[in-house]
Amino acid sequence: MENSSSVTFYDFLDKMRNPSSLDLVRSIKSFIVSFSFHAANPENNGKRVQEFFSTMEAAIIDHPLWADASDEEIDRAMEGLEKYVMTKLFARTFAVSPEDAMIDQEISEKICLLQTFLRPEHLDIPAVLRNESSWLLAEKELQKINAFKTPREKLLCIMSCCRVINNLLLNASLSEDHVPGGADDFLPVLIYITIKANPPRLHSNLRFIQLYRRQEKLISEAAYYFTNLISAKSFIMDLSAKSVSMDEMEFEKSMEAARQANNSSQVEHSLALDEASMLGEHAYPATATTIETETTTSGRLNYPYMEAEPGELTVEDVERLLKLYKDVVTKYTSLCKTVRYLSMPRMGVIPPPSRGTGALSSQSEETSANASHQANSSSILEGTDFLSLEPQETSEDVHHKGEVQRSENCTKEVHKLGVDEMEAKIVKGFQQNTD
Amino acid sequence: MATTGNKSINAKLVLLGDVGAGKSSLVLRFVKGQFVEFQESTIGAAFFSQTLAVNDATVKFEIWDTAGQERYHSLAPMYYRGAAAAIIVYDISNQASFERAKKWVQELQAQGNPNMVMALAGNKADLVDARKVTAEEAQVYAQENGLFFMETSAKTAANVNDIFFEIAKRLPRVQPAQNSSGMVLMDRPVERTAAASCCS
Repeated sequence: MENSSSVTFYDFLDKMRNPSSLDLVRSIKSFIVSFSFHAANPENNGKRVQEFFSTMEAAIIDHPLWADASDEEIDRAMEGLEKYVMTKLFARTFAVSPEDAMIDQEISEKICLLQTFLRPEHLDIPAVLRNESSWLLAEKELQKINAFKTPREKLLCIMSCCRVINNLLLNASLSEDHVPGGADDFLPVLIYITIKANPPRLHSNLRFIQLYRRQEKLISEAAYYFTNLISAKSFIMDLSAKSVSMDEMEFEKSMEAARQANNSSQVEHSLALDEASMLGEHAYPATATTIETETTTSGRLNYPYMEAEPGELTVEDVERLLKLYKDVVTKYTSLCKTVRYLSMPRMGVIPPPSRGTGALSSQSEETSANASHQANSSSILEGTDFLSLEPQETSEDVHHKGEVQRSENCTKEVHKLGVDEMEAKIVKGFQQNTD
Repeated sequence: MATTGNKSINAKLVLLGDVGAGKSSLVLRFVKGQFVEFQESTIGAAFFSQTLAVNDATVKFEIWDTAGQERYHSLAPMYYRGAAAAIIVYDISNQASFERAKKWVQELQAQGNPNMVMALAGNKADLVDARKVTAEEAQVYAQENGLFFMETSAKTAANVNDIFFEIAKRLPRVQPAQNSSGMVLMDRPVERTAAASCCS
């Protein structure tokens, strides 16, 4: 139902290029232009866009190009219209009010603190539902929400995340004698995943979907999952010692410790090229504090895994190590290159010593993936006309699907290999690179 | 909101009740037990849809489960907003869950959609020996508060379909009219309840 959307969008653009749809094109363009004349007021803007969608729907239904069109065809045209209009208006509609930006930051900061100590048992999540690979997959889906520009695609990220949780719950009800808990199980898992994922600009993304997703599409199952994420957000914002299964004193202490660790890691961020922070703290501010408390006594602070035994590593550790490994390799190769260039007497242009410095690496993988997404959708539409659009440039959804598949494969691979082999692989790969 | 068109009604139904009262078992029993030709149903972990044919219309229920833990209580309005119907579920072997159900009723009366069709379900009616809440007590409470009451069992399926059929019948056919729908059909379900609780 949702998967042929790049074809759909191409079809829409194709129809718009047809001379007989000139009147529609004019309406769309004048609507987009008229938008810049108004002051940004999210509520009003949302209403205006929704009204425009309804007007256009009526116009499309009556249009000769869509004569005898089925409801589905009309719907496809409307999806194309939403995508076109919202991509054009993105900069003027997404997170435009300063309050929204503030709430985004507030949530994100709170989640950073919670990440350091909140565990599944604090939300009474039953053990049978604690499945690292499913959770990781759900987190990845949710984190993608900020990489897309259209309300439909953002909503799809929420749907994918919730479907992963849904499947986890359904599997648990089949395999164990765990009585299906329905929403009693679903919501806590979603909250925990939201905390682990800390999706960028959560509040603004939710608001954007609410205001600009075509209203007749934000219903039923989609509306249910969407409401759940809004609930999760609101629960996290109000989260206090009373809302979790945790001693009040302990909660406050953990929050305070997280705040301090956060402050000190911010100081460290400014000490840019500290090698230790490059490996441990910088890259993973959220996990850094736990590593720290575990290692300070034995003085292994700088390289937390140096004395680790293969058997002690968890799947999470392996993922972390793999990231670190990639990071180190990138830095090492660029360092090698630089050294080679510098030691050579010829007067070539010295390549910039690649910006793989500590702070950047923590998010570089994620953001570069996102950036390519963004680039994909933004470069297509911004500043282009219907006439200059090419079909292959609009394959975001194919992209979207591919991502899911890839992360699924990745988690599968971790499982298949087992921790030991994975570590051996990493070490071997590292050695090869340093040789 | 229940919306009408071609005699088919879409109705959002919200499930409220304490954790462990059996909300999702109840709805699973209903959703899995119905087969309506050419109508697809959704069986998720927490969202369900199912179509029922009643005399004059088909009703498509979109069923929203809610988390019953006390810590999520304040989130409930987001879920029951716009709902055409609600089933408030308690466990007949657990007095606390009945008290919790009463709280839900009060809250819906104060803040929910005034035309909402409300049903009180005393679930786990098969656990006769462990019963803590009598059918009479619940019946009196339901009558006083203008909702209809049935004792259900997700295990034996007793009254499970009936409670959804009853809701489907009571849903307003035309949006603005019929604001007294809560009180009209009080007698019949009572008889059925009595029958169900004495055979199980």
